[in-house]
Amino acid sequence: MKKMIVLNVNGETHEVAVNPWKTLVDVLRNDLRLTGAKRACEMGTCGACTVIMDGQAILSCLTLAVECEGHLITTIEGIEGPDGLHSLQKSFIENGAVQCGFCTPGIIMTAKALLDENPNPDDIEIKDALSGNYCRCTGHIKTIEAVRMAAQTDREGD
Amino acid sequence: MRLPQFEYLRPDSLKECLLMLEESNTDARVMSGGTGLLVNMKHGVIYPKRVVSIKSLSELSSITKDSEGNVQIGACVTLSNLSKHPLISQKFPVLHNAVRSVGSMHIRNMATLGGNICLETRCWYYNQSRQWRQAKGLCHRTGGSVCHAISGSKRCHAINSSDTVVVLMALDALVYVMKKDQERSIPIREFFKDNGAHNTVLEEGEIVASIVIPKTAEFTPAKYIKIQHRQGIDFAIASIGAALKRNGKAGEMTIVVNSIASAPVMLKKTSQIIMESGFKEDAILKAAKEARSEIGTLTNLFSSAGYKRQIVEVLVRRVLYGIKDEMDLRRDKA
Amino acid sequence: MPIKAKEYGVIGKRQPKKDGLLKTTGRSQFTDDIILPGMLYGKIIRSPLARGKIIKIDTKRAERLAGVKAVITQKDCPGIMTDLDRQLLCNDTVNFVGDEVAAVAAIDDDTAAEAAALIKIEYKPLEALFSIEKANDKGAPVIHSGHENNYADEFDYEIGNVDEAFSVSEYVRVGEYAFNPNHNCYAEHHVVIADYSIPGKLSIWMPNQSPLFIQKSMGGILGISEGNVRVFNLNTGGAFSGRIGPRKHDFIAALLSKKSLRPVKIRCTADEEFIVYSGGGYSRYIIKTGVMKDGTIKATDATYLFDCGAYWISGVNFLHRLKYHLFPQIYHMNALRWKERAIYTNNPPNMYPHGAGFLQLKLAQETELDLIAQDLGMDPVEIRLKNAVSKGDTNLTRAHYASCGLKECIQKTTKISLWKKKYGKLPPYKGIGIGCGAMNSGGYDRSAALVKIGEDGRCSLFIGLPDMGQGSHTTMAMIAAETLGIATEDVDIVAGDTDAAPFDIGAFAQRGTFFTGNAVKVACLDAKKQLAAVASKKLGVKPSMLIFRDRKIFPKGKPGKALTLKDVISSDMNSMGGSCIMGRGFYNSPAKTMEPWESTLAYSFGAQVAEVEVDQETGIVTLIRVTVAHDVGFAINPMAVEGQIDGQVFSGMGQIMTEECIMERGVVLNPSFLDYRLPRTFEVPEIDYSIVETIDPYGPFGAKEVGEGPLVCTMAIANAVSNAIGYPVKEYPITPERVLQAIQNKKKAKGNEPLDRLF
Ligand SMILES: Cc1cc2nc3c(=O)[nH]c(=O)nc-3n(C[C@H](O)[C@H](O)[C@H](O)COP(=O)(O)OP(=O)(O)OC[C@H]3O[C@@H](n4cnc5c(N)ncnc54)[C@H](O)[C@@H]3O)c2cc1C
Ligand code: SF4
Ligand code: FES
Ligand code: FES
Repeated sequence: MKKMIVLNVNGETHEVAVNPWKTLVDVLRNDLRLTGAKRACEMGTCGACTVIMDGQAILSCLTLAVECEGHLITTIEGIEGPDGLHSLQKSFIENGAVQCGFCTPGIIMTAKALLDENPNPDDIEIKDALSGNYCRCTGHIKTIEAVRMAAQTDREGD
Repeated sequence: MRLPQFEYLRPDSLKECLLMLEESNTDARVMSGGTGLLVNMKHGVIYPKRVVSIKSLSELSSITKDSEGNVQIGACVTLSNLSKHPLISQKFPVLHNAVRSVGSMHIRNMATLGGNICLETRCWYYNQSRQWRQAKGLCHRTGGSVCHAISGSKRCHAINSSDTVVVLMALDALVYVMKKDQERSIPIREFFKDNGAHNTVLEEGEIVASIVIPKTAEFTPAKYIKIQHRQGIDFAIASIGAALKRNGKAGEMTIVVNSIASAPVMLKKTSQIIMESGFKEDAILKAAKEARSEIGTLTNLFSSAGYKRQIVEVLVRRVLYGIKDEMDLRRDKA
Repeated sequence: MPIKAKEYGVIGKRQPKKDGLLKTTGRSQFTDDIILPGMLYGKIIRSPLARGKIIKIDTKRAERLAGVKAVITQKDCPGIMTDLDRQLLCNDTVNFVGDEVAAVAAIDDDTAAEAAALIKIEYKPLEALFSIEKANDKGAPVIHSGHENNYADEFDYEIGNVDEAFSVSEYVRVGEYAFNPNHNCYAEHHVVIADYSIPGKLSIWMPNQSPLFIQKSMGGILGISEGNVRVFNLNTGGAFSGRIGPRKHDFIAALLSKKSLRPVKIRCTADEEFIVYSGGGYSRYIIKTGVMKDGTIKATDATYLFDCGAYWISGVNFLHRLKYHLFPQIYHMNALRWKERAIYTNNPPNMYPHGAGFLQLKLAQETELDLIAQDLGMDPVEIRLKNAVSKGDTNLTRAHYASCGLKECIQKTTKISLWKKKYGKLPPYKGIGIGCGAMNSGGYDRSAALVKIGEDGRCSLFIGLPDMGQGSHTTMAMIAAETLGIATEDVDIVAGDTDAAPFDIGAFAQRGTFFTGNAVKVACLDAKKQLAAVASKKLGVKPSMLIFRDRKIFPKGKPGKALTLKDVISSDMNSMGGSCIMGRGFYNSPAKTMEPWESTLAYSFGAQVAEVEVDQETGIVTLIRVTVAHDVGFAINPMAVEGQIDGQVFSGMGQIMTEECIMERGVVLNPSFLDYRLPRTFEVPEIDYSIVETIDPYGPFGAKEVGEGPLVCTMAIANAVSNAIGYPVKEYPITPERVLQAIQNKKKAKGNEPLDRLF
């Protein structure tokens, strides 16, 4: 039996009817047509589906949509500001941290959650945060660098 | 992979939750963080009619200190919140380390301590899709009468791979469990059963409400090590927790290893060697050797038995040296 | 004389990817992001048996389920073979766990899954074969009739006088190496949308690296002309040698669509990903090398046995035969004998791991080289330099090197990594190793490109080359911009739709930069000529005297007289008798032969030095640092070159150290990104890059490939591990268990590695 729920995504509220066994990633992608969060393993192993819920990076493939009512969800589509790209987005582009780009939204969302909580992470903390994100193309060499540089830019900007 | 269909229930209070579970009998499963349960449901190895979500129950989501100074951790406290809590990171750094070693940051943001303790045992022949399992046929755990992991075995040997329990056992924590009109507390050392199919003593309708770490564990020298193929996101090849509780002069050593059998293994003989001879070099080496045989038959391991034995020996040695160093450090400070 | 980068306006500078904005904001579309109107969801019913007879298929209940729009079995595609030995859907036998037997399409995935479960298939199990040894046994069941010895492919090759070369050799060594199956592991799982609802016209959306091959292969097999297969190649989430041709599910989606008259999407789930992966199957090399006492290589005799699984993927697997060229590729030798045997088993069908298995061959060859050096009392670097090819050389298999920076790469990496200070002098269980390699920039081949320049001076570049992340579209835009004197951001790439794309065979064999790059250059030169004709009239100077720079055209030495490109185009187009600027380019290889390797005009070369630390108690290896030097001819975009190096070092370390599909009776025991251990952030080593530029005479602006060259140098990692433990590891990946085993073997052998067989 479908249930009506209200989801707050990127500051907008959406009313959707969902079956309880539908995961957040499916509802975001199929019902709200926010396809930035990717669907790959669907088993919690790759991080491609990462979104931010109440400030924390979570896996939308292992989250039931019905559990998300009353929470604030941010997806990759919601982090560009009025002044343009988020510093992480810029840094990923400028530092060559994007190749095929399939993993990119998930990695950026993970990194955003990290920097929001810890604006000054060391490399171990960056690696720890990103270890849940699978990236075949870049080997994570430039993604780690991009997060480090974004953190630095943010600090200098303050 | 898709989830099977189910009815979703979200009780507003613990009381309502226990009632729901009582009424549902075997049809219901509690879901906390869901990182273990939903994966199993996607694989189609568990398909409850009802899923009772407990994560939002405020009664189960706090970390408090009781009047005697024991630390009570609600079953639904997420691993991230647990590791960040000052009570834990300052007073029980060993637990903090164990918690931090689970999965990835994402998983820890979602997963809870109660879920980690109650995590279903894992097996290469079980944690697979239905399509995959069809190629092998049913085993004890899926309603058949064979075990693919150990031919000839009469029971399921799936592995307990929870990382936090080795530390909770070493620290002699208590598990508070509840069911409608019933509450009991179980020493975590008695919480697990060496049976892959039913690996805890929880009864029908019973849930873990909280985990209590005794005040006495606060200053216990203790250490946790996890050896994994890949740092970051990976289950353990084996993980170990050890603590030296001091009763007056004599110490009580506890060493617990997990990810090698259906229940965490307390290495009593190994610990005894240290209790008798102290942290002398040769005693440590002897203890580590002893651990190799004390872990008993190794089965269903995700890597060869010989290798696991080797890893256990190394872990015991390293954990004992670790505690020795910690004590030396304390002595120097004192 | 190398041309200095600063003489160029665009190329040679770090250029972020053109699609960076789309990809970092979630705007870029991948196949699974598309939902077409009326689209159905397909599900494949696969064999649970490794080998068996199909007795009965009952689809009635599935057909009756509400929401099911099509059910297909062999009856819907009688006689259609996707490979020489493989039916589109199994007819009467199944040959591996996962073999496709039937499929359904329904209005949503839940219904499709329910319907799939309602299809009842009765089988009779047959004896199955799971190893190449068993398949070779006398009396083993025959998997495909006509292949009585279970050989899917046999190929023998010999060049030079092998027996003589061995007889004059002063030292001969034999070694045997085993490689366990691995997976290419794209981030984006296999997925396809097929719309075959209009008779004779198939539209297909799927991640791939060669739309043209998809057209040819699917058109040929489905019996429609290739132009009627329209491939939409959106973004591709990684390809890594594995997305050259169509896979079974692509055909199945097409058939379901034909039957239901609606578009159908099929997406592989995490476990199916490990059924359709067609990665590297188990393989084994037995290598005999003859050398002189001074280290000069005389001859190689190599046997390559490969478990191709249940079917021989005929369209692409011919490459296995041709791997022999890697032996004499960078080291001179007088003779080579090669024996390739691809052997059928009832494992999943295999094609290539990332790098098409070249890394595995090189691992075997270069480990042997290290052992030979050790036996002869030479330094591994010395033996490599001794035999290394140079510019102008033609090697044994007739590959000619118009440019070659191999020795420079070896010297650079050893210098930067302080090889001399470290080799043989490191503490126990720390190791250093070197690996060298080369890679072809395509073969005998051709590419086309079209360019249109609008009134506003913006340029649309039409190409058929996909960008799977390597940044080829950015590189093409840079080549266009450089040629036309405009900026990279002025160039829009039009690609991803075969109806609009000029001829291009795709992004594989490291051909993109070389072939399509050259074609783009030709197209832009054509456009430039048209522009120059117009501008020369306006400026009153000869076309040859015009300079194109910064979106302007001016007579040489007189930038003050510059006309903007925009004005030149616009005024001409809108004048009487004016024209529209459209350039066309076709690059056809000027090679004198079509022979593989011989026809390749440019090879990249590289060397890597790896440093590792081994935990002698757990066998866990930490890769500390990799020093890379790669001769890419000319780095059009150094940032992309670095990205390629990163990815390949990473892939190499995975294939060498941790990645393994652990097989048991035809099934992968670890079909997940958790238990199939691709390295993650903590495993990442430090990488030191040196880009060596040798300006290839054929490459566009001197550029050569960098798409796979660095990967075949990563055997440095394996050599470093062997160096650390003082004993060679001969079975890959070198998991901690195998490292411990090698340490134990060493103790048993008291340091002397026995010649010949190790297992
Ligand atoms: C990619 C990945 C990596 C992982 N890595 C690790 C790892 O390194 N180490 C590790 O230990 N685990 C790991 N896990 C397993 C799992 O995520 C954790 O063990 C987690 O702590 C489980 O907690 P949860 O709250 O999500 O449990 P849930 O999924 O909610 O529950 C797990 C089980 O416990 C039962 N349960 C939950 N709460 C209660 C309760 N209060 N009372 C009674 N029963 C209850 C559920 O019914 C279910 O059977 C990993 C999982 C994934 C997907
Ligand atoms: S240990 Fe044996 S019985 Fe238990 S899940 Fe694995 S195969 Fe089944
Ligand atoms: S899709 Fe969610 S972790 Fe892979
Ligand atoms: S950029 Fe391709 S997987 Fe990360």
